[in-house]
Amino acid sequence: MRRQTRLGAAILTAVLLGAGAVPAAAQKSADTLRIVMRDALPNVDPYYNNLRTGVVMHHQGWDALVYRNPDTFKLEPLLATEWKLPDATTIEFTLRPGVKFHDGSAFTADDVVYTINLIADPASRLSTPSNYNWLEKAEKTGDLSVRVKLKRPNPAALEYFALVIPIYPKAYREKVGAEGYAKAPVGAGPYKMTKVEPGVSIDFERFEDYWAGSPKGKAAIKKMSVRFVPDAATEMTELLAGRADWIWNMNPDQIDPVNRMPHLQAVRKESMRIGYLSLDAAARTGADNPMTKLKVRQAIWYAIDRKAIAEKLVTGGSRVPSAPCIPSQFGCDGEVAATYDYNPAKAKQLLTEAGYPDGFDVELASYVLPQWGSAVQNYLHAVGIRAKLNQLQTAALIQRAKAGELRAYLGSWGSYSINDVSAILPNFFDGGADDYARDPDVQQWLVQGGSSISPEVRKEAYSAAIKKITEQAYWAPLHTYVTTYGHARQLDFTPYPDELPRFYLAKWK
Amino acid sequence: MSEPIAILPPQTLRVGTAGFAIGIAIVAVIAAAAVVGNSLVPYDPFTQDLGNRLKPPFWMEGSEAGHLLGTDQLGRDYLARLVYGARISLLIGIMTVITSGLIGITLGILGGFFGGRVDDFVLFAITTRLSIPVVLVALAVVGLMGSGLGLVVATLGLLLWDRFAVVARATTMQVRNHDYVSAAWCAGASMPHLLIKEILPNIASHLAVVATLEMALAILLEAALSFLGLGVPPPLPSWGLMIAEGKDYMFFSPWVIMIPGVALFVLVLGINLVGDGLRNLLGSERLR
Repeated sequence: MRRQTRLGAAILTAVLLGAGAVPAAAQKSADTLRIVMRDALPNVDPYYNNLRTGVVMHHQGWDALVYRNPDTFKLEPLLATEWKLPDATTIEFTLRPGVKFHDGSAFTADDVVYTINLIADPASRLSTPSNYNWLEKAEKTGDLSVRVKLKRPNPAALEYFALVIPIYPKAYREKVGAEGYAKAPVGAGPYKMTKVEPGVSIDFERFEDYWAGSPKGKAAIKKMSVRFVPDAATEMTELLAGRADWIWNMNPDQIDPVNRMPHLQAVRKESMRIGYLSLDAAARTGADNPMTKLKVRQAIWYAIDRKAIAEKLVTGGSRVPSAPCIPSQFGCDGEVAATYDYNPAKAKQLLTEAGYPDGFDVELASYVLPQWGSAVQNYLHAVGIRAKLNQLQTAALIQRAKAGELRAYLGSWGSYSINDVSAILPNFFDGGADDYARDPDVQQWLVQGGSSISPEVRKEAYSAAIKKITEQAYWAPLHTYVTTYGHARQLDFTPYPDELPRFYLAKWK
Repeated sequence: MSEPIAILPPQTLRVGTAGFAIGIAIVAVIAAAAVVGNSLVPYDPFTQDLGNRLKPPFWMEGSEAGHLLGTDQLGRDYLARLVYGARISLLIGIMTVITSGLIGITLGILGGFFGGRVDDFVLFAITTRLSIPVVLVALAVVGLMGSGLGLVVATLGLLLWDRFAVVARATTMQVRNHDYVSAAWCAGASMPHLLIKEILPNIASHLAVVATLEMALAILLEAALSFLGLGVPPPLPSWGLMIAEGKDYMFFSPWVIMIPGVALFVLVLGINLVGDGLRNLLGSERLR
C-alpha cells in the first residue's frame, strides 16, 4: 500500500503544481471558513428548498423557537423561553426578549405569528408540505407570547419546531417580498448572510449582535463562504489543493488516503439518512409500465444485494433497514416488514412470471455517488433489467421526481433529522408530489398515525403501513448513511449524528 | 505525371519502416485481444464483486493473483473490461470509417469528376460540414435521442466524412484527365465503371491514409463523448467511460484512469503509425 500512496502523492503534487496552487494552510489567518458542497441551493429560503444543504444553511443563519441538543437530543429553549401544551392541539410559547434579527429589528410575537400563518397556508406552496400540514394557525397573545393551534395532534411537533421552523422577520420579508428575501435573507441565527448567489455561492459573516446565552453560542470563526461545485471529484480537488477547508459526503473510499495527508483530516459519523430506490408503482410515468407490476418490483428488491452495498460500498457501519425508515425513528417497525434477501435467481423467475423473460429497458435517475448508482445498475443488469443510469444534480432530479417523470430513481432522505416516522413516510406515501405508490390504504394509516397522541394507536397504524409498503415493494430502502466529512486539520470541527454540521461551533486550532 | 524523383534518405526510410512495423504490431495485438481476448480472460467484464474492489494491478503491492490489472471501484476485473473496451473502440473506429468513407468518397469523386454545378454542391456540403462543431452536434443528438453504441457510430459517421471528401475530390481532379480514363471513356465504359473501376483504385492509396487518420480520430472522439457521458452508455466498458468512472479515484488510485488512458494512447499511436507507414509505402510505390 505504501508504494501506491507515494505514487498517489506524486500525481497529486503534479496536479497541484499544474493548477498553480500550493496546498495552502487553512484560511486561519483570514478567519474565513471555506466550505465546498455539491448540492447547489437554488433558493436559500429554508421553506423553499428540500435539500440538506438548505437545512444546514438555515441552522447557521436562522434561529427557531426550540433547540434540540445535538448530544442528548433533548429539547431546549431557543427563541422561546418556555412552552406549554394545554391540550393536544395547542402549544403556547413564551418568547425571548431582547433578540435582534440581522437587520437590527427586534424579534417579537408578530414575527412568529407571521411565519407560522404563512407556512400553515397551503397557498404558500412550500417545498416539503408534509412537514407543515399539521399546523393550523398562530395567534398573538401578548408582545412576547404566541398560541399555536394544530389541525391534528402531532407528538413530534416540538421536534419540527426545532428543526424545520425557522422564524422570518415579518417587517423585512413583507417589505422585500419572497423573491427579494431569497436574494438577501435575514434571520436571527449566529451567522448573517452577506451575499447570496443562487446555485453558486453564499457568504456568511458572524452576527455580532447575536443574543448572549444561546445554546448555539456566538460563532468563533468570523467569516464563512459556501461554494457549490458540480461533482465529487471537483470537491475533492478543491480540498486537496487547499482551496476548501471543509467538504462532506465524500467518497468513503477516500477516508484513509485523506487522513494520510498531513494538512487534512477525514471523519465519519452515522446519520439519520437512508438511501432509497423509488419505483413508479402508481403508473405516473405511463400506464401499464413494468413498475406497476408487483412481481417486477419484488424482483428488483431481490435483485439488489443491499447488504453488500451497505457493508462494502457505503461502509463505516452502514446497515440495511428492513422498513422504509430509519430504525431509530418512532414507529419504524422492522419486525412487520416483508424481507427480501439477495436472490437473483428468484428475481429472474419473478420477472419471467410478470411477463418480462427478457427483461426491459428503464431509466434509472440518481443523485447519489456515481459508483453507488452503478452498483445498483449492475445488479439490475444481472437479472436482465437494462437500467440506464442518468446522473443528475439533486435539485434537478427532485424537480423531475415531483413532476412524476421518473420511473425509477435513487435518492436519499434525511428526515430533517426528526426521530419520528412522520418525517419520512408521509413525504413518500401521502399522495403528494413525491408519492409514487398512491396507495389509499397507506395514506389512511399515515393520517391515523399522524393524528393521534397515543403511542399504541400510532404504532399500530404505522406498522400496518410499513407492512403494506414492503409487501407491495413500493419504495426500497437500500442502506443507512454514514456521513463522511473531510476538513483542514487546523479546523476544530465536531460532527453530530443528526447530520447538521454546526459551523457556529467550529473554531481554529 | 512528371514529378521530381525524390530519393528518401535511407535512414528515414528505416525509421519509417520500423514505425510501420510497430504500428502494425500494436494494432494487430489490440485487434486480436478484441476478438479473442474475452475468452482468454477468466473474468466477465460486467460481473461486480463488491467484496473485491479497487485491487491494484500486478506491479503494485496488494495486488491479487487472478486480477492482472486489478479491479475497478465495483470489483470488476480491469483486464476483462479493458479487452472488452478494445472491442468497442475498434468497432466504433471501423464502423465510423465505413460510414464516413462511403459518404465522403462518393461526394468527393462526384465533385472532382464532374466539376461545375456538382462540384459547387459538394464544396458547399463540405464547407457546411466544416462549420459544424462535432461535439456540440453529438451533445444535441444525445439530448434528443439518448445515447447508445449505434447512435455514436451514426453521429460520428455522419460528421467525419469531410476529409474523405476533400482528399477524394482533389485526387479525382488529378486523375480524371489521365489517358487511361479517356481511353476507357472512348471504349464506351459506363459512368459507374469509370468512377469505380478507373478512378477509385487510383486514388485508393490516399484514401487509405485518410481512413487511418479518421479511425484514430473517431476512437478519440468516442472516448471523449463517453467521458462526458454522451457516448456509449454504462455498463459497457468503453475506455472513455472507464476513465470517467475512475475520475473520482484519480488522486489515490491513479491506475484506474492510467490503464485505459495508456491503452487509448497506444491504440491511437499504433493506428497513426500504420497511417504514416502506409503513406510512405504507397507513396514510394507510386514513384517506381
